[in-house]
Amino acid sequence: MNHLTRSLFIIVSMWSLLTLSGLLFSHDVQATQENYAFATEQQRQDFKRLTKELRCPMCQNQNIADSDAMIAHDMRRKVYQLLSQGNDHDQVIDFMKQRYGDFVYYQPPVNNSTIWLWLLPFSVLLIGAWILFKRRPEISHTDEQVEADLLAKADEMLEKDK
Amino acid sequence: MINTRFVVPLVAFTALVFFLYQGLFSDPRERESQALAKPMPTFSLPDLMEPSVIYTNDVFTDQVTLLNIWGVWCVTCAVELPYLTELSQQGVRFVGLYYDQDLDPDFGTKTLARVQQEVIETTNQLGNPFVFNIFDVYRDTSLDLGVTGAPETLLIDQQGVIRVHHIGDLNPRVWDSKFAPLYNELMAQLVTSVSTQPAKQQEDKP
Repeated sequence: MNHLTRSLFIIVSMWSLLTLSGLLFSHDVQATQENYAFATEQQRQDFKRLTKELRCPMCQNQNIADSDAMIAHDMRRKVYQLLSQGNDHDQVIDFMKQRYGDFVYYQPPVNNSTIWLWLLPFSVLLIGAWILFKRRPEISHTDEQVEADLLAKADEMLEKDK
Repeated sequence: MINTRFVVPLVAFTALVFFLYQGLFSDPRERESQALAKPMPTFSLPDLMEPSVIYTNDVFTDQVTLLNIWGVWCVTCAVELPYLTELSQQGVRFVGLYYDQDLDPDFGTKTLARVQQEVIETTNQLGNPFVFNIFDVYRDTSLDLGVTGAPETLLIDQQGVIRVHHIGDLNPRVWDSKFAPLYNELMAQLVTSVSTQPAKQQEDKP
């Protein structure tokens, strides 16, 4: 028992330490900020949105705003260039997709191979509902009879104890 | 009733096991290159050693070329250099697409002379497979090619079309499986087209 409480204590303390350090350092996650001067506020907003939506092709699951990899630097610079040249959000996304594929954009396109991402959860839900519906326990006549007998038996025992 | 109750979960379980088993052998970093079967993006870039010399797409016409994206800062590039040199001695034409990570176009910290010196030191030590190095100053061409890092190697055919895009180091195993068959085929085409052209001219003469 002592062993169990001790390991439990360790787990809890480690967890709280992790959470705490997460809170403390979460502001440092943002990678080094380049100084980009934007002509309009709209461009600044587009830049912020795009760097969050574009995935760094070299890193495992990091957007280019958060990544400090060189490719992320270069892509940020390219996004800035493209926006300055007057391209809009979709044009920048298309530019990056042409070079790095659908992988680069966090919003996957709906096509024959990806449609399952949307269909599968619902089909699992439906199958689950169907199984639940099928399996609904029926209170059969025999069950009732057994239950009544048991109750009678219990009553009898209670009577005896009195 | 008994049958479906056991068969359905069994089939579902087997399918799941099969699906997850495949996942064990898939490479999460592997993705389709967008550059394949497309012509080399248009570029106009200086020579690394002689910046007054400007290269354009013409350097790839009528020749089968391996374009190697590299830099002296890249550890894996240093590993593959001796093998690339070996291949170049066998007659494979290597062109380097050089980029430097410390030479940030916005906040340049390294001078070009320093980069050149490092390149000379490295190639002297490990071998120099390159006919010349194209200096991708702003890394725009790398970005156009969908390059994610170094080293990467492209096989470009005589029409300037990218036929193979390999991410990672080029070693004998990769060369034999990914490059050699197509390279030999392209070289054979090149030889026949070169040898038939003079023959045609001769036919035309009389």
